[in-house]
Amino acid sequence: MYRYDAVDRAVLADRAAEFRDQVRRRLSGELTEDQFKPLRLMNGLYLQLHAYMLRVAVPYGSLDPRQMRALADIARRFDRGYGHFTTRTNIQFNWIRLADAPEILDVLAEADLHAIQTSGNCIRNVTADPYAGAAADELEDPRVWCEAIRQWSSLHPEFSFLPRKFKIAVTASPHDRTAAKVHDIGLLLRRGRDGATGFEVIVGGGMGRTPHVGPTLKAFLPSERLFSYLEAVLRVYNRHGRRDNIYKARIKILVAALGAEAFGREVEAEWEKIGVAGDLPGSEIVRIRDAFTRPELADSPAPGDFEARRAAEPAFARFVRNNLKAHKLSGYTIVDVSLKGVGETPGDISADQMDVVADLAERFGQGEIRSTHEQNLVLPHIRLADVHTVWKALDAARLATPNINLISDIIACPGLDYCALANARAICVAQDIARRFEAPDRAEAIGELKIKISGCINACGHHHVGHIGILGVDKKGEEFYQLTLGGSGAEDASVGKMLGPALPIDRVTDAVEAIVDAYLQQRQDGERFLDTLRRTGDAPFREAVYADAH
Amino acid sequence: MKALTANRLSDGEVVFWKSGAWVERLTDAEVFVAEDSAVTAETSARAQPTLAIDPYLIDLVETEGFWTPVSYRERIRALGPSNHERHGKQADGGDAVEALRHAHGAARSSGRVNLIRRK
Ligand code: SF4
Repeated sequence: MYRYDAVDRAVLADRAAEFRDQVRRRLSGELTEDQFKPLRLMNGLYLQLHAYMLRVAVPYGSLDPRQMRALADIARRFDRGYGHFTTRTNIQFNWIRLADAPEILDVLAEADLHAIQTSGNCIRNVTADPYAGAAADELEDPRVWCEAIRQWSSLHPEFSFLPRKFKIAVTASPHDRTAAKVHDIGLLLRRGRDGATGFEVIVGGGMGRTPHVGPTLKAFLPSERLFSYLEAVLRVYNRHGRRDNIYKARIKILVAALGAEAFGREVEAEWEKIGVAGDLPGSEIVRIRDAFTRPELADSPAPGDFEARRAAEPAFARFVRNNLKAHKLSGYTIVDVSLKGVGETPGDISADQMDVVADLAERFGQGEIRSTHEQNLVLPHIRLADVHTVWKALDAARLATPNINLISDIIACPGLDYCALANARAICVAQDIARRFEAPDRAEAIGELKIKISGCINACGHHHVGHIGILGVDKKGEEFYQLTLGGSGAEDASVGKMLGPALPIDRVTDAVEAIVDAYLQQRQDGERFLDTLRRTGDAPFREAVYADAH
Repeated sequence: MKALTANRLSDGEVVFWKSGAWVERLTDAEVFVAEDSAVTAETSARAQPTLAIDPYLIDLVETEGFWTPVSYRERIRALGPSNHERHGKQADGGDAVEALRHAHGAARSSGRVNLIRRK
């Protein structure tokens, strides 16, 4: 984890004090709602259907046990005992009182957390590979770059009032776990021919009303030139991005309108003007790298009775198959903690569960916890010898559902149960599908299948990049759902295609089952759902879902 | 039939207008038959900006002997989230809550206008 210094702490303390005064002035009537709304949004405080919602930034999805316990404390004292991890790897509290918000910011600041830039037309929290620093397939730990971007973009005067919000993803693995190609900027760390590192820079991806897989603007940007290049991209966007139409204000629209080549030329011209003066001195990167505490990982620790237990306990073996990922060091593993228990709300976690995760990270996991954009948590450094103990503890806390990347590992936004912008609910749709595919053997037989559900076209539930995407629409005041097939947020990114007319809520799970059955009929050896769909096209699936309608 | 609703400034709670004050239950809300009395109430509510935010009128229909919102969104506001039945106003239970759960209706309320800017 990155350790805050005195300056970081002073900034947060000032910010909480400032917000306390703003809240006082709003409650007394000195500020109108129109004056106050932008101020509260700058501190992550939204007004939703039932209450205020506070969105807390989890910087590039990294938390330590102390921070997780602070979140648990907030959930208990100021909310209803739970929080909700989002597809931005942040956490939201759904039942916040305005008068409590300043005190919550104090509690967050004590734990080096805040809610700054979790709203508004600024550079939002950076998305990082949740397996950063642990993944067997990564080139280097991308979080150093994420932290540098966080420091550079926090309260950046030039980029605090962009045409629209701006999201950056960074990954250093060939397997993209950040959905980088559907971010405003995706940075894929690569190694050049001379062995030096650089980034493939993807600009203009996005979801929402007009989904785009971003084009590559630069195939290899030397990493020491990152910040001048980011500045050039942001500056061109700030200058030419549309401010007249909220639906056309994201950078993806500008890049698509100009064409990637023309946009790239503008960026190159700006980049040349900025020159190396816009780059972070190498000493800063060293300072940031040194401010990360390094996990103390042993050299090939013995796996203990890991294999024996796996052979003897089928439930443990299932957890191992689905929730463990390869660590870069032998004797260690990455453990995925599922926040998708069958019948639960995707991404929700109770205060008690937060404490369990914090304890496990502290005792067995080098004090590291990650949140994923798929609304799960990760313990990135667990010794194989400890996995069984960790699994037992997770299982007792209902956090060990062995369903990572399977059909019940569904992303769902808060939808109409909470969100003021929603057309339809998303959570209950996810719960119903998860219940239908509850049998773990069946889920494993189906294999990797990513269902993503959004309650409106803003696409916080990433439906465009779901293998099966489900979008809630409003048809004359009733909840209907539009299905899309073939999306992917991974390195083979694609936007899903609409399957047919929207379905009423009580037909959605049947439709998903019909799609799955059609897949199992069509599947050839070893194919994932997405592979089969790409081979056959969507005709067999359309036929399966809409057969009755003919 | 109409009711006037808003979110309370201090805690965001869903509230309904009743004779110059805000109440928490839809069953306690004032039901307007005449359009002009509804609009007058909305004007009065807007004059109290330290109590509630963005008041707006919603359409009601009768369901099982209770006035219930026509729009699905407003029924969820009047009940609470459907994934946590002990959260929100639905926690009280009773016939009025059941009526809200059973209500059918169409047409989104006007409350959603301009909300995109809040996001
Ligand atoms: S996709 Fe729509 S309904 Fe879902 S959280 Fe985003 S804005 Fe709300």
